[in-house]
Amino acid sequence: MLKQIEINTDPIQAILKQNRKEIKFGLSMCAHCSLCAESCFLFISNGNDPEYMPSYKFINSIGKLYKKKGRVSKQVLEEMRDLVFEKCVLCTRCYCPFGIDIPSLITLGRDVCRTQGLFREYDR
Amino acid sequence: MIGFLITFIKGPLIWISFIVFGGGLIVQTFRLLKLTQKKETRRIVPDKAFKPPTELSKKERFLRYLMSQRVNPLALNICLVLVSFIFHVCLIMTPIFVLGHNVMLDTAFGISFFSLPEQVTDIMTKFVIAGAIIFLMRRLLLRRVRIISTVYDYLLLLIAVAPFVTGFMVFHHVLNYNTIILLHVLCGELLLMMIPFSKFFHMVFFFISRFMIISEHSLGNPKRSWHY
Repeated sequence: MLKQIEINTDPIQAILKQNRKEIKFGLSMCAHCSLCAESCFLFISNGNDPEYMPSYKFINSIGKLYKKKGRVSKQVLEEMRDLVFEKCVLCTRCYCPFGIDIPSLITLGRDVCRTQGLFREYDR
Repeated sequence: MIGFLITFIKGPLIWISFIVFGGGLIVQTFRLLKLTQKKETRRIVPDKAFKPPTELSKKERFLRYLMSQRVNPLALNICLVLVSFIFHVCLIMTPIFVLGHNVMLDTAFGISFFSLPEQVTDIMTKFVIAGAIIFLMRRLLLRRVRIISTVYDYLLLLIAVAPFVTGFMVFHHVLNYNTIILLHVLCGELLLMMIPFSKFFHMVFFFISRFMIISEHSLGNPKRSWHY
């Protein structure tokens, strides 16, 4: 079991501030076309579950954090952990027709989770 | 007041929208390029073992291309790609080569592009509207698109297609001509001004990411990579 910790927004906001332009650009360029879906092998192997779409994963992890300026509850962060650690293996094979660097954005989501002591749970 | 607004929309606002469009594209392109940096390309395969694609026979090259396409998400969505391609080509070509716009250019400056027959631009406009309806239906009906859609996406689709719907109505004299033409000009100006500062900027970003930024799907000989 993971140690129960409270959310410390300072490191989250530091990551968001440091990568503000990149996150903003990725979010503002995503046309929500869902063409990236089939490039994710996890999407295909999980019965085309939309939660495995690369765009869904970055919009609902680092994108959500960016919009809420890092002020999220622990429950929301745990859901994000599931998205960026359990539903993505960072194989970097996602394809965006516009060229958004989705793996980098998911990596930032992982960075944020790590600062709060949230990692992949291997013993699930 | 209304008379002033009409004169403003049909006069200065056209200039303002073109200046915002052009200036905005330049500024946003520089801002995008600042997120990237020049990088030396590295070849992982040793030089002796490396067989450049040009040395392969045409058949081998074609087979390699087919092999690469079997995992291409675009090849898996070929219908959507075709609809999207036709939509975008018509979206860009129609306003440039439609007769009405060129007549105005000719009257104002004595220069114009060549014009396509009106029947052709009418069909192209119908393609744009049909494409927009397909995109809308996709957004409404497919769960994977709906789950990431926001109100803004629907609004952008409306803004993109509004000049074409009003243009179609103007051409076919549907409803009051003077009102619709004013609406057509206003929608066109709004679209032009929004291109550099919204998701429509993919008009430039698409080409920069394909031809200037190194990635698996880039074309040509790109030299830049993302900063992060």
